[in-house]
Amino acid sequence: MTRALLFRAALAALATLPPSLAPGALRAQEHVVVRPEPGTPVVAVEVLVAAGPAEETPEQAGLAYLTARVATAPIRPILDSLGAHLTVQAHKDALGFTLTAAPDTWQEASRTLLVALFRDPADSLATVRERAALRAELIGREASPADALAREVDAAVFGPDHPWRRPAAGFSTTVEKLTLADVDGFIRSYLVPERTVAAVVGPVDAAAAREHLAAFLRGSPWQAPRAEPPAPVESPVRKEYSSITAWIAASYPFPPEVDEEAVRMLGELAVEGLSFGPSRRSVYNARAEVVRRAEGGELRIQIVVPPREVDAWAGRIDEAVARYADRAMVPSLFADRVRRFRGLRLRELDTPEARAQEAARELFVGGQGRLADLERLDAEHLLAAARALRPATLVVLGPFVDGAPAAND
Amino acid sequence: MLLLALTLAAGTAAADTAALAPLPAPANAAAGMVAVHRQPAIPIVALRLSLLADDPPGYAGAGHLLQHLLLPSLREQVQRVGGEVQITRGADAVVYTVVGPASELDYLAGVLRSALRQPPVGEAQLVAAQRELRDERGAEWETAAGHVRALLRGRLFPDELSPAGTPASAERFTPEAVQSLWVAMYRPERVSVVAVGDVQVGRVRDAFARLPAAPEGGAAEALADTVVAAPPAPPEATRGWIGLGWSAADADPAAVTVAARLLRDHLRERLPSASVEAEHWWTRQGQALALVVAAQPAGLPAARRAVGASLASLGESLDAGRVRAAAAGVRRDMLFYARRPERMADVVGQFIDRAGQADAAQRFYADVERVDEDAVRALLAQLAERTPATVDVPPQKIINRTP
Repeated sequence: MTRALLFRAALAALATLPPSLAPGALRAQEHVVVRPEPGTPVVAVEVLVAAGPAEETPEQAGLAYLTARVATAPIRPILDSLGAHLTVQAHKDALGFTLTAAPDTWQEASRTLLVALFRDPADSLATVRERAALRAELIGREASPADALAREVDAAVFGPDHPWRRPAAGFSTTVEKLTLADVDGFIRSYLVPERTVAAVVGPVDAAAAREHLAAFLRGSPWQAPRAEPPAPVESPVRKEYSSITAWIAASYPFPPEVDEEAVRMLGELAVEGLSFGPSRRSVYNARAEVVRRAEGGELRIQIVVPPREVDAWAGRIDEAVARYADRAMVPSLFADRVRRFRGLRLRELDTPEARAQEAARELFVGGQGRLADLERLDAEHLLAAARALRPATLVVLGPFVDGAPAAND
Repeated sequence: MLLLALTLAAGTAAADTAALAPLPAPANAAAGMVAVHRQPAIPIVALRLSLLADDPPGYAGAGHLLQHLLLPSLREQVQRVGGEVQITRGADAVVYTVVGPASELDYLAGVLRSALRQPPVGEAQLVAAQRELRDERGAEWETAAGHVRALLRGRLFPDELSPAGTPASAERFTPEAVQSLWVAMYRPERVSVVAVGDVQVGRVRDAFARLPAAPEGGAAEALADTVVAAPPAPPEATRGWIGLGWSAADADPAAVTVAARLLRDHLRERLPSASVEAEHWWTRQGQALALVVAAQPAGLPAARRAVGASLASLGESLDAGRVRAAAAGVRRDMLFYARRPERMADVVGQFIDRAGQADAAQRFYADVERVDEDAVRALLAQLAERTPATVDVPPQKIINRTP
């Protein structure tokens, strides 16, 4: 059997699992998707609550994330006693709660989590502790050039008045001023079933798992997350930053109909062409990231180079991406590259919690399964994705040694 | 062995899903055993190949050296399909693990089979591999925690040398010696394969049906391994470190694992400001229950007392509920650890390497649930009669330098 046939056979096996409903149908029915996985040793539950910077004022930046941490801090000893693991993440458009537990405790652990989110009031001691801990973390993070670049790119990509220009975790200076009343008010207003979707992945009975979570979410009309359209600033943006290296980021928006996996592969290929190598000895680091949102998405490529080479490398990011928009890759070359890309992508989904996160995000923003996209991926999809990218917003951070002042200071 | 201890602290296979197929072992043909744990959730597969082999006398570190010689080539091959390769040298076996798309099973199996051929050795490759081994030997003693474990291990299992070898054995690794070392270590029937992922047992069996034949030629001359008993450098730590280890060679492994968890939880309650680890070390050579505790200088006397009396005080506070909770905790941690295919393969494979039975991990998982208060009490009494190995690393004196 050929490799392609085997790959299709493996995906066909996946298709025998109880299928997820179309995102729209799920939203109308209940906000839960269940993907039973016989043979997986633990159950992962991903809960996404549509709350983030858009629900905060600029002075409250970080309130959503602080609230998520305060709400879950009191239940951590209970989860520990159940052998369950919980992580909390702040995204631009949602708060993510990832729970992993053994098959015999996942229901109790997820019930504990959902009660904490929807029914428990804010705890004053937890507020004080989490605020101090988050502030300390943010102080450390804010000193990092990678974090500074992300902040500058967000500001450039979304525009000066957009809430997503602010970091989802907030600033140390805003978090330190947040109060118990702020947290309590946020819990009551935004940590609600109407804003919540959940995905369950693991060795579970689909009907029982859906019924278990639906008890918390059923009957609540879905409040789709609202996001203003971004208003990117004029590019390029150059910001002076005290560092021995220069950091360059290019953000390419793409429309919702574009194949996300093709964009992801494009990012991988571009990074391959930019990373350290015999002819690129001065590149310290290169990486690509794809973010899918309800209204489309963004491919963000970032490189770190010596300050005196900034201008040359800023242009090379565009070249590295644009070369894939000229013509479709020759089949043998594409086959070679997609073989590697598929392996990398599949390994990113090798934990049940990663698959639960993927499933919940599909439900949250719409779209089909990523594995199905991966199977369909061909040279034409890659070409279409490269051509569908909109012009990049370019941000450069670092010391400028050419004598020219930073243009946007 | 440390890797084993960490694994046992947290992971093994689900009991109900393994399809295991021991194979007959015709000489120089197929792997000694092939075990498959089918996980259809995602089309990836982890393949763990282990070769049960001791380092030849006088050549401690030989198995790991061979792994380092092969690693660059294996890595390059596996990256072509977006996969990953890991090498581990445990006390029982030389282990290679690859993970990648299930559709690439044959390719990945071919990569693993290539690790069983006589390794080509050039001077440059040998120098690089030697350097990596030297770094690993140094890393064992780099931190206070590593220092305590290395000393404890040496006292509990004096016949076991570091997987990274010794400075004396490193000098014997010439290109000629490496060829004869492989002759001494490789036999196809000592190879076991564990596959976890979206694959069928028949395909895995086919993929490992023909392994390279045992090489011919003279094995390396048997020499003596010499070990310097003293640590290579004095440990430096701001906290005081205490290590205590009891040999548990003839004990029920499930009871030792549960007792280690009970001991850890018990000491963490009694020493809330100290860091406490209790580990079950288990290889073909034996078992031990090891305690590694770090405490601030002011709390060190109390920590020493608590650790010294830990078996007795645990016995006083023991009840059936605690034992049940500890056993359940061990089982849940095992499942959590094994949630990645390569980790599941690692846990299942370690049990196979130790016990030689395909379902050893599943049986251990079931045995843990059956551990009761009486079994733990009996074990504690047994250990209390033995003289533990001890390690004590005092804290450094910190000099306050005010500007």
